[in-house]
Amino acid sequence: MIRKKTRAKAEISTASLPDIVFLLLFFFMVSATIKPMNDQVKLTTPKAQAMTKINRKELIREIIIGKPINREVGDQEVISVDNRVIKKEQLTQWVMEQKETLPENLKDQMIIVIKADEYVKMGLVDDVQEELKKANARKVVYRTTPKL
Amino acid sequence: MKLKKREVQEINTGSMADIAFLLLIFFLVSTTILQEKGVSLKLPPEPEDQEIAEIHDRNMYKILVNSSNQYLIEDQRRDNLIGLREEVKAFVMNNSIDPTLSVSPEKATISIKTSRGTDYKYFIAVLDEVKEAYYEIYGARVGMSSEDYRALDLDKPVERDLISRGKDGIPMNISIAQPEKTL
Repeated sequence: MIRKKTRAKAEISTASLPDIVFLLLFFFMVSATIKPMNDQVKLTTPKAQAMTKINRKELIREIIIGKPINREVGDQEVISVDNRVIKKEQLTQWVMEQKETLPENLKDQMIIVIKADEYVKMGLVDDVQEELKKANARKVVYRTTPKL
Repeated sequence: MKLKKREVQEINTGSMADIAFLLLIFFLVSTTILQEKGVSLKLPPEPEDQEIAEIHDRNMYKILVNSSNQYLIEDQRRDNLIGLREEVKAFVMNNSIDPTLSVSPEKATISIKTSRGTDYKYFIAVLDEVKEAYYEIYGARVGMSSEDYRALDLDKPVERDLISRGKDGIPMNISIAQPEKTL
C-alpha cells in the first residue's frame, strides 16, 4: 500500500547569505584598483589588436598626450604626467626623477606607457619619443583599446 | 519601585544581505579592473651610439603615412590597410624565393615612417597590422593562434619556452623612422 508521506518543507537557511555577499564584496574592493586620475586631457585611445599584457606593473610610468579638457589652457595638444601638464623639455627631467624611484637593477627596465588620443599629431608623439630616447627610457607601450 | 523587565531588543538582520548586495553591485559596476595592455615597441638608441645599418632595399618593407593620413606602401598608394598583414607575412617569410622580397626573416625590416601631421591613430593602425603579422608567424610556428601566442606569460617557464620557440630566428625588426620635418 502506498502511503503518502508527509514531508516537512525543507527550507534553506539564508542566515549566512550576508556573510557570503560580504566576502564577495571585500574581494572586489581589494582586487579592484582605482583607475589613475586624469582630469587634464581628453583621451580616446586608438583601437588595436596586437596587444600584449605588461606583467611588471611596478615598472610602468604613464605619459598622457591629448587636447586639454580645460579650454582656458588652450586648444593645443599637451603632455600630462602624474595629472599635471608639463612641457616636452621637462620630460627628460621627469623620466630621470621616475627612474630614481625604481631600484637600481630595474632602472633600465622602466616601461613608459604612452596614452595618446587618437587624433594627436605624430609630430608631438615623436618629440616625446625623442625625449625618451635622450633619457634612455626606450621601452614604450602604446596604450590601446581592444578591437571588437 | 518596580523593576521594569525589558525585552532584549534584536536588530533585524534580514535586510543585511540586501545592503551588502547593493554595495557589491556598486563596486562591480564602478570599478574597471585595471589591465595594462597595449602595443609595445622598443625605441632605437640615440643616434650617436647607433650604428648606421645599411639595409638592402629588398630587405626593407617601406610604409609611409603622410599628413593627410594616406598610405604609401612599397611605393604604392593605398587607401586602406586591407591585405597588409598577409603581405608583411609573405615579405618576412620569403627566404630568398621572390627576388623583390626579403632575403631572410632575420634581415627583413619593416620601416614605418610618418609625417609630423599624421594622426596617431593611423600610425597605431599600421603598427598594429605589422605586429599582428609577426605574432601570426610566431603563433603558427608553435601551433597556436596569434591571440593565444600573445596571451602567453613570460613568467611561466613552459610558456616562456613557447614564446622563444616562436620567435627564434625571426626578430621583430620594426623601425620607426623620424618623421620628415617638411612634407
